[in-house]
Amino acid sequence: MDELIRMEKIEILSEGFEIIKNMTLNFPRGMSTVIIGPSGCGKSTLLKAAAGILLPSRGSLFFEGKNFFKMSEEEIKEFRRKNGFVFQDSALWANRSLYQNLSLPLEFHYPDWSEEKRSSKIRILLDKTGLTSQSSLRPAQLSTGEGKIVSILRALVTDPSLLFLDEPTLSVDTANARIIYDMIRDLKNKGCTLITATHDPGLISWLADYLVALKTGELLAFGPFDEVTKSPNPEVRQILGSVLMEAASYDTDILGLLNQE
Amino acid sequence: MFSSMGRWFNLKVVRFFYAAGFFLHVLYETLLFPRRKQVGVKVLVLQILFTGVEALGVVSFISLAIGAVIIIQGMNIFPQFGQSQLVYTILITVIVRELGPILTAFIITARSGTAIATELGGMVVSHQIEAYVSIGINPISYLVVPRVLGVTISLVTLTLYFSVAGIVGAYFVSQLFTPIGLLDYFQNLLKVLRPIDIFASLLKSLVFGTIISIVSTYQGFNVKVASTEVPQVVIKAVTQGFALCIFADIIIVLMLRSL
Repeated sequence: MDELIRMEKIEILSEGFEIIKNMTLNFPRGMSTVIIGPSGCGKSTLLKAAAGILLPSRGSLFFEGKNFFKMSEEEIKEFRRKNGFVFQDSALWANRSLYQNLSLPLEFHYPDWSEEKRSSKIRILLDKTGLTSQSSLRPAQLSTGEGKIVSILRALVTDPSLLFLDEPTLSVDTANARIIYDMIRDLKNKGCTLITATHDPGLISWLADYLVALKTGELLAFGPFDEVTKSPNPEVRQILGSVLMEAASYDTDILGLLNQE
Repeated sequence: MFSSMGRWFNLKVVRFFYAAGFFLHVLYETLLFPRRKQVGVKVLVLQILFTGVEALGVVSFISLAIGAVIIIQGMNIFPQFGQSQLVYTILITVIVRELGPILTAFIITARSGTAIATELGGMVVSHQIEAYVSIGINPISYLVVPRVLGVTISLVTLTLYFSVAGIVGAYFVSQLFTPIGLLDYFQNLLKVLRPIDIFASLLKSLVFGTIISIVSTYQGFNVKVASTEVPQVVIKAVTQGFALCIFADIIIVLMLRSL
């Protein structure tokens, strides 16, 4: 397994509570890893820690073999350019228009680009998702689904090879969810490394190459999708059951997986 | 009881070092600001516009009012003791050296300090700060430094403006009661105005600007998860800003008392 990100003995404390407990994980390059677990188990925290957004109290984070905490300012900038993060609540900058939300990462990473070049890049992305006419709107004027799409576009604007997705389809209407599915499927087909925290059984069923199962900040299981879904661990079975059973009602592949024992 | 006191003390020590670390980090990033090829210049210009330009109205009103009060009271009281010229000393001491910097600082704390703490607190809650980190932008250099520079530059400029507007306002009000020639008025003022008065005014406004901006940005970033924390940090930004400005004022007055 060609590892892209390695987390070693990561521990994250918040207000005295251990959100992530002594966790060691490798995220493989070019694969889709999906993090599952009950609400509040630390999925978003783990995702942010893997992206170097949330600094752990203990442990190490390696990106392409380099220790993240020993990277120079330039190396960290390059690391950020190479990865994108989609937040659960979109986290679009409220005082900027949709266009400006997409423009800022380009202004920061490519200061030498002309306004025309930036604009053309942004227009291409907006055209694909049908949001061109809304480019001057502020995030508050967008629907939840549109906000999510813009959040994904912002993460993709610098052409990253690694994308972190925190509940990309949560509270999104069917039409916008379909657009998001297509965007993610396209990235997966292109070989982009995807690390996703989600409860969406439909998304897990076709996206996950690897699965991470968490429970109250502890790693229950990590491995290829087929291996984890066959895990005999009752706690893993319980999580898989709660997440995947919902999908089984309409996805025969998942039903098949759950019956393989 | 001892264990809870120990925890309280421990928390205070941790918070003190966290605040000191924040302060040093901001100073370091401020020094690097001209070198950074970041987009923070726009934020700096907007901050000067909001803190400096948009506050001109209220600063003008207060400085004119203070100048008017001093000249009216002075023209009434000092001639009774044969000390008419003392009114110019009082004008310089009160407007330029003492009240100008501290009143301008209070106005800026009430307007910009609260706005900064509210804005940053809201950004923390909605994960907008994390979004800056995710694309590689350092929130200290992009969000805090332009605000610190913007507030400090605005406060220094507004304090100078306060002094000039207060003195000019006092002149116009004096024309209503005891008309003085323009030349006489300003000659008398220049006789009592010393370079140390201007230095004290500039030093205070520089220190107050730094205090107000760092306290309000620090409090804004102190919000953890809920929007209900925002009003609490805004109150802290105002009270700590006022208290630290007054404390710094006392220190500067003591340092410059013999000059």
